[in-house]
Amino acid sequence: MKLIAGVDIGNSTTEVCIGSFDDDGKVTFLASASKLTTGTKGTLANVPGIKAALEEAMGRLQKPVSSLSLIRINEATPVIGDTAMETITETIITESSMIGHNPSTPAGTGQAVGTILHIARLDQGREELPYILIADSSYSYEKVAELANQYSKRLNLTGIILQADEAVLVWNRLERKIPIVDEVKNISQIPEGKLAAVEVALPGQTVRMLSNPYGIATLLKLNADETKQVTPIAKSLIGKRSAVVIKTPHGNVKENILPAGEIYLEAGKTYVVNIDAGADKIMETLEEAGEVEDIRGQDNTNIGNMLSGIKAGMGEVSGETGGNIRITDILAVDTLAPVPIAGSLAGEACLEKAVGIAAMVKTQQLPMEKIALELKRQLNINVKVAGVEAVMASLGAITTPGTRLPLAILDLGGGSTDAAVIDEDGRVAVTHQAGAGELVTMLIQTELGLTSRLEAEQIKKYPLAKIESLYHMRLESGAIHFFEEAVDPKYFGSVVLLAPGEMIKLTQDIPLEKIAAVRSEAKKKVFLRNAVRALKKVAPENNLRNIPNIVLVGGSAEDFEVPEMLMEEFISFKIVCGRGNIRGTQGPRNAVATGLVLSYIGG
Amino acid sequence: MEINEKLIERVTKLVIEEINAKGGVQVLAQGVKAAGSRMAEKTSYAGFPVARQGTDPKEVVIGVGPAFQRQINKTINGLSLEDVIKNIKAGVEEEGMVPRVVKVLKTSDVCFMGLEAARLSGSGIGIGLQSKGTAVIHQKDLYPLSNLELFPQAPLMTLETYRAIGKNAARYVKGEKVTPIEGQNDPMVRANYQVKAALMHIKETEQVDSDIPYIEWN
Repeated sequence: MKLIAGVDIGNSTTEVCIGSFDDDGKVTFLASASKLTTGTKGTLANVPGIKAALEEAMGRLQKPVSSLSLIRINEATPVIGDTAMETITETIITESSMIGHNPSTPAGTGQAVGTILHIARLDQGREELPYILIADSSYSYEKVAELANQYSKRLNLTGIILQADEAVLVWNRLERKIPIVDEVKNISQIPEGKLAAVEVALPGQTVRMLSNPYGIATLLKLNADETKQVTPIAKSLIGKRSAVVIKTPHGNVKENILPAGEIYLEAGKTYVVNIDAGADKIMETLEEAGEVEDIRGQDNTNIGNMLSGIKAGMGEVSGETGGNIRITDILAVDTLAPVPIAGSLAGEACLEKAVGIAAMVKTQQLPMEKIALELKRQLNINVKVAGVEAVMASLGAITTPGTRLPLAILDLGGGSTDAAVIDEDGRVAVTHQAGAGELVTMLIQTELGLTSRLEAEQIKKYPLAKIESLYHMRLESGAIHFFEEAVDPKYFGSVVLLAPGEMIKLTQDIPLEKIAAVRSEAKKKVFLRNAVRALKKVAPENNLRNIPNIVLVGGSAEDFEVPEMLMEEFISFKIVCGRGNIRGTQGPRNAVATGLVLSYIGG
Repeated sequence: MEINEKLIERVTKLVIEEINAKGGVQVLAQGVKAAGSRMAEKTSYAGFPVARQGTDPKEVVIGVGPAFQRQINKTINGLSLEDVIKNIKAGVEEEGMVPRVVKVLKTSDVCFMGLEAARLSGSGIGIGLQSKGTAVIHQKDLYPLSNLELFPQAPLMTLETYRAIGKNAARYVKGEKVTPIEGQNDPMVRANYQVKAALMHIKETEQVDSDIPYIEWN
C-alpha cells in the first residue's frame, strides 16, 4: 500500500488530498486539508504553506508526513490577475451656484425663492423683496429663530440655509413655517445678494422643482437660453432630499471627461481603444482582435502605468525578463464611483463614470520545479510536478456524482476565470480569462465608496441582514429572524454580514437594499460575462450547446449566489450546471488535488 | 478550585442566611443613617409629581441624578448642567423625537439611572446622566450594566458631545444606524479627577431617596 499526496497551490489556498493505492492499483481517498497559501503562487515562499497543509491532512490519519511515498504538485498555470479602477469623468460646480445634498434632517417642505441675505444684515433688508436667510454656526438655533421671528413681521423671509445641523430646532421655533436646508459646510462661499431658490422634499420623496429645468426656470424666471444652461444643475439634483440653486452669471455644473489613456491590443496588427470609450467598446475591440499576443497601455497614463506594473510584478515572480511576460486578456467593466464634487458647498459627492479593469499575465513557466526540489530537500520525500492544472481539475471534477463526459469545468478563482472541456477521448481544451473574485471586490468597494478592501471582500462573501431591534433582524429576503438572547447592543440599527459564527457590522450607513443590489450586479457583470466568454472559447465549435454539463469548482463556486446566477443563465442552453461536489464530499474545493492523486494511476 | 454556578449559588445562599440571621439589610441601613451625622441634609422631594410612564413612541427620557441642578450645578469639568441638558434635548429634538427629563432618586448609579429612564420612556430608549457628567444611553430590555452606549470619561465631555448623545439616542428610537461619537481619551484623566469624581459621586449618593423612585424634572 502506498500513500500519495496531491498538492494544489492556488492563489489563495493550498489544498491537499491524500489517497492510498493498494497493490491492484485501486485508490481510496483518506483525507484532505486546506491552508492559506503562503506568499505569491509559484514561489519558494509557498513551501511552509504546503508543509502545514500536509501535516494537517496526515494528522487526521494520525500518521507522520514521512510515511508518504510521493507528493504530486500541480503544474500551476503561469497566470496572475490584477485589477485597477479608472475614473473617467469629473463634476465641477462653478461660482457656488448649487447645493444639493441629503442632510439627515432638513425641515419644512416646499420651495422658496428670494434674494440671499446674511443674518447679520437682516436690518438692511427691504420690505418689498422676498429673502432667503443664511446663518453660519456662530448663531445658535435659538438666536436664528428669534431673529427670524422678529424680522418676519417686517420682511418677507421665504427660506433659511443653515451651516449647523439645526434645521428642525429652528423650524420648531418659527412662528411662520418656511423650508430650511442645513448642514451646508462652506456656507461662507454662498454669494450674497443673488437670487436663489430653495427646495426641501416631502418625507420619503426627492426634490421635484429644482431637479427639473423648467422648475428652475419657473422659480428663477429664466429665459429659454438660460434654461438650457441650467439643465446640468437640474440633472445633478435628481434624487436629492434638499437643494439650493443660486442664479449667478456664469454659475453652472460641468461634467469633464478626464484623459484616461489608450489601450493597445497587439494581435497581428495593433488595435487602439481609449478607456474613455467605456467597457463595452473595449470588450468589443478585444473580441474583434481575436487571439491577442500582448496588451499595452499608453505611456505615462494611469492605464499605462497599471499594465506595466502588472508585468513588472509578474517578472519578479517568474524571474523572467520583459519580453516573455505578456498580458493576454483583459476584462473591462463599467461602474460608478462616488467622488466629491469640486467646488461643492456641502461636501456633495457625485457618481462619476469609471472603468474597472482586470488584466491577466502569461509568462513561459512558473518555477514549480524549484518548489518541488525544496520540498524534497526539507521532507525527504519524492516530489513530482505532475499535470496541467486545468486537466487535473477536470479529472477531479469527474468525481462529482452525476457527471459524464464531455464535461466542462468553470474554475471561478480570485484572479482569473478558467474554463476547460474534457471530451470522451480525454482531450482537454483550456482557457484563462482575466477577471474574477478580486474584480468583484473592487467593484463593490468603488461603487459603495468603501475605504476598506476587506469590508468589500466580506460583503461579497456573506449575506446581509439589518438588526432592527435587540431581539430581531430582518434578512435580505425580507424575513424576520428572532434571537434567543438579546444581541450585543453595538449591532443595534446596523446592517450586518452573516458570516459563519459571527456577525460583522458594516461601518458605513448604506441601506441594505443598495448593498445587495450593488453586490449582485458586480457579480453578474464579472462572473456571468466571463463564464460565457470563457466557455465559448473552449466549447466544441465554439457553441455552448455542445457542452452537456458544467461543473463549477474553485473558491468563488462556494459563493452563496454566483452558482445560482450561472445556473439561471445556462438553463436556457439546456446545460446541466451546478456547484461541483468533488468525491461526493468535498464541495467545489479540492478538485485539482484530487485529480493529482487520481492521475497517479496513469503514470 | 473550580468556580461554577453551583458554587456561586451555595456561597450566595450562605451570605443571605448570615444577613437574615443579623436581622436583614434594614438594620444595616438604619445603622448608616444613625451614624450619618456628617452627611449633607437630604432635599425632600415629597409632593413633587412622580414621573409617569410615557406612552409616546417618539419619546426619549433623560434621567438625571438625585443631586442634579440642586446640590450640583456643574459637571466635573465645569460645564453648566443647564447647558448640558439643553444640548441633549436639542439633539433629540433635531432628530424629530421628543425629549422628557425625569430625576431619578432611587439610585445614583449611571447605568441604573439610564435603565429607569428607558423604562419610563414611551420608546424604551433613555439616557442616564449623572450630575458629574457621566452619561449612558440605555434600552429598557437590557440588563442594567449592559447599555447601548456609555460615555465614561466625564472630564473630557463637551457640549457638542452631549448634543451628539441626544441625537444618537433619538436615532436608536428611529431604528437608524447611529454615528459613532468622537471622543477624546486621556490616560491621565483618571489620576487627575479621581478624588473629585469620588466626592461628586458621594454628594449625589447622599441625595438618594428610596421612598420616591423618580419625579418629573422641569
